Amino acid sequence: MFPRTDARTVADDGDTLHFCSTCAFSQACLSEGMDKQELLDLHVLVEHVGPLHANDHVFRKGDPFDAIAAVRAGTVKTYVVDREGHERVLGFHLPGEVIGLDAIDGNAYPCNAIALDIVTLCRFSFPRMAELAARAPGLQQHLFRLLSRDIGAAMRMAGDWSADQRMAAFLLGLSQRLATRGFSARRFQLTMARTDIGNYLRLAPETVSRVLKRFQDDGLIVIDRREVDLTDVGRLQALAAPILQN
Amino acid sequence: MPLNPAFDAALLGRYDRPGPRYTSYPTSPQFSMDFDERALREAVRESNGDPIPRLLSIYVHVPFCQSPCFFCGCNRIITRDPYRADAYLARLHREIALSAAMFDRDREVVQLHFGGGTPNFLSTTQLRDVVDALRRQFRFSSRSDNDVSIELDPRWMSPDDVRALADIGFNRASLGVQDFDPAVQAAVNRHQSAEETLGIIDACRRYGLRSINVDLIYGLPKQSRDGFAATLEKVLAARPDRLAVYSYAHLPDLFKPQQRIDAADLPSPETKLMLLQLAIDKLGSAGYTYIGMDHFALPDDDLALAQARGSLHRNFMGYTTHADTDLVGLGVSAISHIGASFSQNPRDLSTWQAAIDEGHLPVVRGVRLSEDDQLRADLIQQLMCQGEIPVSALERRYAIAFGDYFRDALVRLRPLIDDGLVRVDADRIVATSQGRLLLRNIAMCFDRYLDRPGIPLKFSRAI
Repeated sequence: MFPRTDARTVADDGDTLHFCSTCAFSQACLSEGMDKQELLDLHVLVEHVGPLHANDHVFRKGDPFDAIAAVRAGTVKTYVVDREGHERVLGFHLPGEVIGLDAIDGNAYPCNAIALDIVTLCRFSFPRMAELAARAPGLQQHLFRLLSRDIGAAMRMAGDWSADQRMAAFLLGLSQRLATRGFSARRFQLTMARTDIGNYLRLAPETVSRVLKRFQDDGLIVIDRREVDLTDVGRLQALAAPILQN
Repeated sequence: MPLNPAFDAALLGRYDRPGPRYTSYPTSPQFSMDFDERALREAVRESNGDPIPRLLSIYVHVPFCQSPCFFCGCNRIITRDPYRADAYLARLHREIALSAAMFDRDREVVQLHFGGGTPNFLSTTQLRDVVDALRRQFRFSSRSDNDVSIELDPRWMSPDDVRALADIGFNRASLGVQDFDPAVQAAVNRHQSAEETLGIIDACRRYGLRSINVDLIYGLPKQSRDGFAATLEKVLAARPDRLAVYSYAHLPDLFKPQQRIDAADLPSPETKLMLLQLAIDKLGSAGYTYIGMDHFALPDDDLALAQARGSLHRNFMGYTTHADTDLVGLGVSAISHIGASFSQNPRDLSTWQAAIDEGHLPVVRGVRLSEDDQLRADLIQQLMCQGEIPVSALERRYAIAFGDYFRDALVRLRPLIDDGLVRVDADRIVATSQGRLLLRNIAMCFDRYLDRPGIPLKFSRAI
C-alpha cells in the first residue's frame, strides 16, 4: 500500500489474542481484567465487516437494531433525511469510534450510516454486549460515556457560533479524536465532502471553502487537496475556545 | 531559478531518443476505455467535494483547418466549407451545458483557451457565441490575471478580426509561424508571408492583448541555417512576449499528413541540432529566458516571473501561471484533467457528435491516478517547471523515503548523473545547464509505465 495511505487510515490488525490498535473497547475490557481470549470464550466478539467502499451503507434508518459497530478504518457518516427530503448530517465516525449507540433505546436504527471511503468495522451483537456489560460495570460505564460524548458533540455545535468558531472547533475535534487513536494530530485527511462538513456545521459549502481559505491565508492551516495541516493550533484553540468550553 | 540551457551537440545527439512530452502523467497511452461517463461524473463530484475546490481552466478544441500543413500531428479536419462549423458548434454548445451543470457554482474559471485545428476557422461572431455561452454557464473569475487565449493562423484573418477578438475578451494570442523561408513553406504546404503575420502581431498590440506567443518549428524539410536565421531575425524584430521552438517529429505512420513530406528533404540530425543551437543563441542574446520544454519568454513576461517565484505550472495547454486547476476539455479529442483523473473525448467527429446527440458526456477513455501516479506526476511537473526535483518536499508531502521509494529510478538516473545532466544535492535533484534541454530524458527515469529497456516508437524524439 502507498505509504501515505498506510499512515493515515490503517489500524494495526489484532489477532486472536490481541485487540486491534483502534479498538473502541479494548481499554474498557482490559481495565475489567478481560482479555480477548476471555471475550471469545464468552462468545461476545467479534465480527469483522468490510471493506465497505465509499457510498456503501453500513445500516439504514429503520433497519432492525441488533448490533453496534466500531470503526476500525475509514470514516462513517451518520445522517437522517427530513420530511422535505433534505439530508441532515449527524456526525462523522473515525477509527476507534462506535456507531449505532443511538439505537439502544429502540428496536430500529434511527439514522443512516454510510461509508465515506474504504471502511472496515467490528460488529458487536448488542444483546450479548448488554449481557456482558451487566457483568462488567466498567464496560457499561464506557458505553454510557460513549453515548454521552456523542450527544455532547451534537449539543456543542448547536449553539449560536460564528462560521470561523465552528470550523476551528470542528478541525480541533477531528485532530483530538485522531490523536487519541495514535494518528497524527496535526496532519490528516478531510475524508468528508465539503457539502457534508457544511451540513454538519450548518454552513453553506461555499462558506466552508471561504473560511478554510481565510484560515489558510492567515497561516492557521495548510490545505492540500483533502489533506489539512494544522499549522497554528494555538490560534485555532483561541478561536474555538467558546465552543470547546461550553 | 533554473539555469539557461547549455548546448552540447554530442551529448544531445546521444540522448536524442523517443520519449513522451509529459503534458500528462500517466501519458495518454495509459488511458483506458474503462474510464467512462460515470467515472468522469464521479471525478467531478469528488472534485466539488474538496475542502477548497480547485479553480477551473477550460480548453475548447476547434478541429477545422482551411488547408493541410504537412508537418501537422494534431487532430484536425481539412475543409473550406464554413457550414461544417455550424453543425460542430450546435454540439459544442450542448457539451458546454452538459459539462457546466456538473460543477459547483462557486468554482471559478481563471483560464480559457481555444486550440485546434484553427480556432479562427470560426468567425468572430461564432467565437463570441461560444465565449458568451461559457460565461453564462460557468462562473468566470474577475481576477485581473485571467487568461483568455486563442491560437491564430494569421493567413486566414484580418487585423480587424483582432479588434473583435479583443472585444470578446481575448487577452493572449498564439500565432503559428513555423518558418518564413519560402522553400520550407512550399515543402510543408504553408504559404505565409512575414508581412501578414507581423500585421496581426501589430494588431494584437494595438487592441491591447496582454501577451503574444509565436510558434516556430525546427527540423522541417528544406530547412537551412540561413533561412531559419532570417526567420528568427524577422520574428525577434517583432519581439513577441513568448516563443515556442518545437522540434519536428517525423512520424508518417502515426500522422498521415506527414506522408506528403519527402523524407529526403529532412535536415540531417546534425543540421537539426545546429538549427536548435541557432535558435537558443539568438533568443538568448535577444534577452529571452528559457522556460523549459521548447518554451522561451521575455524576462518580464508572466511565465518567466512565475518561474522565478517557483509558481510555474504546466498542463495540456502548455506552461501557465495558474496553480493546479481542474481542466475541462470541450470539443472533439479534447482532454480533461479533473481531480485525480485524465479523460479524453473521441478523436473522431462522428463518435463525439453521436454521444452528445444522445445526451451523454462524450468521454471515451481516461485514467484514474493512483497515489503512486500522483506522486510521479507531481515530481515530473516540478522538473518540467522548475528544472529540479524537490526531494525533501516530496518526502514530506507523500510520506516517503525518496531513496527507497525511487531506488529503481535512481539507478536509471545514474548515467545521466555521470554525463552531467543532473546533479544530486542533499534535498533536491537539479537539472544542470546541460540537462535543461533533456528534461524529458530525466523525467523518463521516473516513469513507471515505459517499457524497458526498449521504449516503443510511438513517442517523438527528445530533440
